[in-house]
Amino acid sequence: MEKNIMVLNKTGPISSFYQRYRKMIIAVVLIALIYIVGHIATGSFLSIANVLLTLKFATFIALFGLCQMLVICSGGDIDLSVGYVATLVVILTANVMDGHNETLWIAILIAIGIGCVVGLGNGLLTAYVKLPSLVVTMAMANIVQGVVNVYSAGSGLSGQPSPVLQQLSAKMTGIFPNIVWVLIAAAVVVMLIMYRTKIGVKLMGVGSNPVAAFLSGVNVKRVRTIAFVVSGAIAGLVGLLLIGNSGMAFKDMGSMYVMPSIAAVVIGGLSLNGGEGNYIGVILGAVVLQALTNLFVAFGWGDAGKWLGYGIILLLMLIAYVREKTNR
Amino acid sequence: MNIRANIKTNGFGKLFSRQESAPIVIFIAMIIIVASIQSNFFTPSSLKNSLNSFAPLILMAMGQAIVLVSGGLDLSSGTSMALMLCVLTRIMKKDDPVTGVWALLVALGVMLGIGLLNGAAVGYLKLPPIIATFATSYIWFGIALFVTPTPGGESVNWMRAFFDFNAVNNMPDWLKAFGAVVPTSVLLILAGCVVWYIVSRTKTGRYMYAVGSNRVTAYQSGIKTAKIQTTAYILNSFFLLLCALFFTAQNQAGSARIGDPLTLQCIAAAVVGGIALNGGRGNVFLAIIGAVIMSLVGKIIFFANMPDAYQTLVSGVIIIIAIASSAVYSTLNERAALRGGK
Repeated sequence: MEKNIMVLNKTGPISSFYQRYRKMIIAVVLIALIYIVGHIATGSFLSIANVLLTLKFATFIALFGLCQMLVICSGGDIDLSVGYVATLVVILTANVMDGHNETLWIAILIAIGIGCVVGLGNGLLTAYVKLPSLVVTMAMANIVQGVVNVYSAGSGLSGQPSPVLQQLSAKMTGIFPNIVWVLIAAAVVVMLIMYRTKIGVKLMGVGSNPVAAFLSGVNVKRVRTIAFVVSGAIAGLVGLLLIGNSGMAFKDMGSMYVMPSIAAVVIGGLSLNGGEGNYIGVILGAVVLQALTNLFVAFGWGDAGKWLGYGIILLLMLIAYVREKTNR
Repeated sequence: MNIRANIKTNGFGKLFSRQESAPIVIFIAMIIIVASIQSNFFTPSSLKNSLNSFAPLILMAMGQAIVLVSGGLDLSSGTSMALMLCVLTRIMKKDDPVTGVWALLVALGVMLGIGLLNGAAVGYLKLPPIIATFATSYIWFGIALFVTPTPGGESVNWMRAFFDFNAVNNMPDWLKAFGAVVPTSVLLILAGCVVWYIVSRTKTGRYMYAVGSNRVTAYQSGIKTAKIQTTAYILNSFFLLLCALFFTAQNQAGSARIGDPLTLQCIAAAVVGGIALNGGRGNVFLAIIGAVIMSLVGKIIFFANMPDAYQTLVSGVIIIIAIASSAVYSTLNERAALRGGK
């Protein structure tokens, strides 16, 4: 009883603000902590240029995180094929663009096309055949990487991104990376769609209570399939940004973003059971991960420290947020 | 499941409605196909080579089967196997046989640690197994990279017994003769089978099926579900240790990335063998059949003269087909059973 009274007393503006945005505040505190630790340890970690650079690389994680968020939101599925779709797009479009702006539209069509095809496969197998999404998308990732291997074994890797893409994703205006504008635009659009349109309501409804959504006339399977398709299409477009940033194509360009994209959603505090669509949280999660990577690089721990750190922070966040409350 | 067995009175129908029959039929068909492509498939040396190349996947699928039966899933099996391999090859020094003992002891400790952490995350902390082991897989991968940043390491000579008795210098002659007939991979798999047979006869083994089919009911009837699941994960990492020992003896070097492709393959192998992804059904022996089927598919790809680049592509397609068909098969079977019941 006393506990309840205390909770009732606690509804001041500050505490209700805290209750509502608790997970985002935790993410911000984490970012601040990482920067403080880094600054104390290395002495030159906290600078505006460094923060903006972190934001630039966090953008890629956050954009892959958007794919992941849509799929997770619509029903707790996970899409492990996003990074591989991006790689395939990179490999195929590098030749098509080859440093010219005129063929950029073909590249964009290829990106969306590949993304939609892979996403449709994932969605149909997951929603209609009812296979576990994790295994399906992992196998799909194998297939896509296989196509990459076959293509690059046949014709080699060559080509360059178009200048517009390079301007957009690699260059800076002053010290502000251009690609961060893409992230800001994406954030505004996604937040508006998720919270102000029917599509967003449907997506979150299907995720949080599929039976209720079905009974109120929503085609649950179709919505879930569409989430996978959109996720694939976005992954394809992010592939274009990736090649714009690096200037050339690699065989394993996107695959390293798969794990961070899921971790970003978890750290952002979104439920892995679906039904939540707070993209700002995902962006904060991506910044946490990228800041952590920078910290490990500053410590000289390299790849091993990065993956270990990702694993540990993901596990800790899972323990904090995802524990099931049932007795079993 | 019992309903189904009662309805099919016809003996032939009964045979085909059993969960095990489909994988066994596929298994026999695959053997026939491979034997017809490769004329010397049944000669002892070729059989031995095949078994040696199948063994890692078989061992990993056996471990995965135990976790699946108890209602979990292990996405970290590839990387945790690689971690144990890296630890083994890093500690051992070629010229000092005693380091082999230390390496084994440390590897046993790592095995327990892996099993305990995975089991604690799934059992005690109640995280969804898929995402929890996905997270731990990166922890193992990171530690493995710390231990062995670039592929390398060495192994003591007697450790080679885990691959081939004949490769060990001062092995008694009768053991060498025995090793020439029975490859060590078969002994490892047999050892795994014996361990599972013993476990499945105990209370713990029975409880695993109970926890796997319905965790809440199992908990409410007094089973310590968290403990059972942790046991399953520790057993799984025992099989992974066997696999790591096999790799150590075979390659005498470790790599943090060697397990990456094996994780998905061993899950697929278990599913192809007829083990339910949602738990409570199947056993280790089915996993062996599934793993052999998956490996034979790889062999067929090889003999069909497909370029290496196609391997990943085709294996992805086959995994999807295998999992989809097993899902469709069990749905059809259940529908048929329900229809017969009316």
